[in-house]
Amino acid sequence: MTALPLADLVEPVSVALKFGIVAVLYLFLAWVARSSVADLSRGAVGAVAPGLADAGGLSPTAGGEPRLRVERAVGHQPGDEYDIGPGAVIGRGSQVDIKIDDAYASGKHARLVRQAGVVIVEDLGSTNGTFLNEEPLAGPQPLQLGDRIRIGDTEFTYLDD
Amino acid sequence: MKPRTREALALLPSALLITAGFTAIFLKRSDFVGNTSLIYGGAFLALCLVGHLVIRFTARNADPFLFPLVALVACFGLVELYRIDESFARSQALWFVIGLGLFAATMFALRDYHQLERYRYTIALGAIVLLILPRFPLIGQATNGAYLSIKIGPLSFQAAEFAKIGIVIFLASYLRDTRQVLIHGGRKVLGVSLPPLRHLGPLLAIWGTAMLLLIFIRDLGSSLMFFGAFLALIYVATGKLRFPLIGIGAFAAGAYLVGSKVGHVQDRVAAWRHPFDPILFGAADVTPRPPEYGTSYQLAQSLFAQADGGLFGRGFGQAEIGTTISSGGDVTTPLLPASQTDMIYALITNETGLLGASAIILAYLLFVHRGFRVAILARDPFSKLLATGLTAVFALQVFVIVGGVTKVIPLTGVTLPFVSYGGSSIMANFVLLALLLRVSEDARRPT
Repeated sequence: MTALPLADLVEPVSVALKFGIVAVLYLFLAWVARSSVADLSRGAVGAVAPGLADAGGLSPTAGGEPRLRVERAVGHQPGDEYDIGPGAVIGRGSQVDIKIDDAYASGKHARLVRQAGVVIVEDLGSTNGTFLNEEPLAGPQPLQLGDRIRIGDTEFTYLDD
Repeated sequence: MKPRTREALALLPSALLITAGFTAIFLKRSDFVGNTSLIYGGAFLALCLVGHLVIRFTARNADPFLFPLVALVACFGLVELYRIDESFARSQALWFVIGLGLFAATMFALRDYHQLERYRYTIALGAIVLLILPRFPLIGQATNGAYLSIKIGPLSFQAAEFAKIGIVIFLASYLRDTRQVLIHGGRKVLGVSLPPLRHLGPLLAIWGTAMLLLIFIRDLGSSLMFFGAFLALIYVATGKLRFPLIGIGAFAAGAYLVGSKVGHVQDRVAAWRHPFDPILFGAADVTPRPPEYGTSYQLAQSLFAQADGGLFGRGFGQAEIGTTISSGGDVTTPLLPASQTDMIYALITNETGLLGASAIILAYLLFVHRGFRVAILARDPFSKLLATGLTAVFALQVFVIVGGVTKVIPLTGVTLPFVSYGGSSIMANFVLLALLLRVSEDARRPT
């Protein structure tokens, strides 16, 4: 038996390579696509906190009742939730919807308003300012699920899921 | 399966593909199978693993498929470049190493990408300067009539590649602040409520910038890329279809006006509409003198090359990219001019056929899908907008060049990300990838 000359092997090897490449390529892409579709139907990837994954795009989406959850506040139980309804004023004074005993809070400190399906937070000219996700609020800002509103030592989380 | 395990596994097919690709080229070239292709494959896998380790250390929970998809398209690029000219592949590999370094630097240094918001005006200014610089004498340089690159000494780089990231960061930050006022408020004009002029101004300014770019750098593709990303962002920020619709109208009107005035753009459009026109093709003067091509020669040849590829392609290393004309001296006539940059997609189609080309497009589509998924999962508006913008600008870049090569839109010189030859493109897109992974890490980190 003489060994096949190498040149005779080139053609079949080339063809095999060509189809092998296509096969590997598509198997890989199919795997990625399958994982992506599986992620989609599951809604959220395991690592994501529940609720956040459904927040969807930035546009206002019809969800549950908008409300504030107490994170920390003197005189409130952390975890308590307050419905915002058509709007709510937060402050230290007596004419407010959510009263907070915080030395840094003004009488009427901040306001939440529902506008065209979005809830907007607005500082009412307070002395010490309102913080949205730890950034000072400059003008009216729309709220997203999970946004944190801080006034002095008091903090709320906005929920609407 | 943990995300990083998935990522490591997903890198293996690319290593396999690059080995197979190089083997095919060696076979074609010397009828000889050595272990060189295995070395190339191993080196590529080692590079990918370095990237993987960087992600493992800095963004443990980030999307597992973004990086492997990049590796997949990159290996196509490397194989094709090697096939055109070994020196291209060698410097491209070097660019990959530098790009990976930049990627690692971004991943390590920019732990909190929200810092970028603080410098948004500086970033915007930098991006605009980068875009305008190519037009200045001494450092500017025109390529085929478009002003896209800056040349300092022996180094030249594509300014637009870096500018696109800066512009997206600025727009994401700016629209996060103003999107609410864009939706609500303002007067109604003809039944459409317009935002107040104070906020409309910047939007008009961005449209104006896109138009200026068109006049200034004379490149329809880049303007389309920037303005398209802007429209995608404004749509996601406001959820109102009217903004992108008005924007598309305004861009079309502007592009039409500029297109009919600026000669270079006019040529491109004519070549796009009639690529096989004998005068545009340059068939009138063939053999005597060094051959001179018409404006549509490149596009027409690209279409021929793609058609010639058929369903399965000619196989790696089998495309004819040059031919030697003997009359009047040995002049090598490129059958596919600029096959390492603009035309690389046509070359891939020729060698791997419709199946291979579709696989590339699919890989980009999946990348874009993962990118938008990062945006959906992101927790705060800036991250959402940033991921959307980066993904949109990436997708549009692929569209502009693949669309140009396949004669869907006029051909312009934008690179095919991670595939085309060129350092700026590789480096900028690695930074883009790093930013996307950073946003993804933030979004998927368990709280």
